Amino acid sequence: MRDLHTANLDDLTPAEFEDYLPELFAAGGGKITENPRFKNFLAANPDCAALVSDLETIAEHAKSLFEPMHEPSDKVWSNIASKLKEPAPEED
Amino acid sequence: MELQGLPRMQTKANPGFFKRNPPIVGEAEAIEAAKNGDPDAFSKLYALHKRRVYTLCLRMLGNVSEAEDMTQEAFLHLFRKLGSFRGESAFSTWLHRLTVNLVLMHLRKKGLQLVSLEETINPSEDDAPKRDFGSRDTMLSGSVDRVTLERAVASLPPGYRMVFVLHDVEGFEHNEIATMLECSTGNSKSQLHKARLKLRELLRQPQSLAPLEGLDGAEAVTEGAR
Repeated sequence: MRDLHTANLDDLTPAEFEDYLPELFAAGGGKITENPRFKNFLAANPDCAALVSDLETIAEHAKSLFEPMHEPSDKVWSNIASKLKEPAPEED
Repeated sequence: MELQGLPRMQTKANPGFFKRNPPIVGEAEAIEAAKNGDPDAFSKLYALHKRRVYTLCLRMLGNVSEAEDMTQEAFLHLFRKLGSFRGESAFSTWLHRLTVNLVLMHLRKKGLQLVSLEETINPSEDDAPKRDFGSRDTMLSGSVDRVTLERAVASLPPGYRMVFVLHDVEGFEHNEIATMLECSTGNSKSQLHKARLKLRELLRQPQSLAPLEGLDGAEAVTEGAR
């Protein structure tokens, strides 16, 4: 993982920029596409801008998966209820 | 938590989790009553949390039968360990951690053995995302259909899927994931990035994504049904 703080954004190649992306995304602090620090670079490198925009879209939409729930079948509770009536197993 | 072979998770309160896991009406009372052996209260806790626990298991395991078995195990484990819940984190956060640890232990016990999870985390060359920026005319254009995303996530190699689900869906921090998966924080960040790159590839060809057992269609609970 490369150090963001020593990076010269004016001289970055697209490949170098991608090397920084895991750390950039992990650093948080809002969208990279809206960060003034990267405005010029992204404007000059539309492929990088498209990549970042897509990754931001994916991360944003992933949050929606937290909510949709799937239902276990009724047999799961039946099994739990019957196991709870059994003597407790030894501590693990 | 006292799961064999797994590190004890920190119970430090995580504001993000309280935001995503707000207290549920009646939950605190049900927890206290269940601690005192009230079977109806435990049944209520099951009803409140079964979908989230099952969905988490299903995403991590990709298999209805195994997901149901692990849901059962998670609640049986919860019943035995409920007395140790001190409320330092949201109950659902605590339950999710317990579930994740059980699933990981299950995966380690399986043939995969997660020889080292580090190895499972590294997919084959074929599964790895390609290192190119792709064509701009197939950009995701700011919207991704939820079912399609669910299918794409399920198509990820197991290691990528694990980190993506834990971080982007469940909201765990990289340091927590690193502890759970016994890898470095940098590795967690790197794997998450690769997972998103791979998802980008998959989402650009949604027609190639197969429907999923248990994740598509009738078994999904719609917003209106809850």
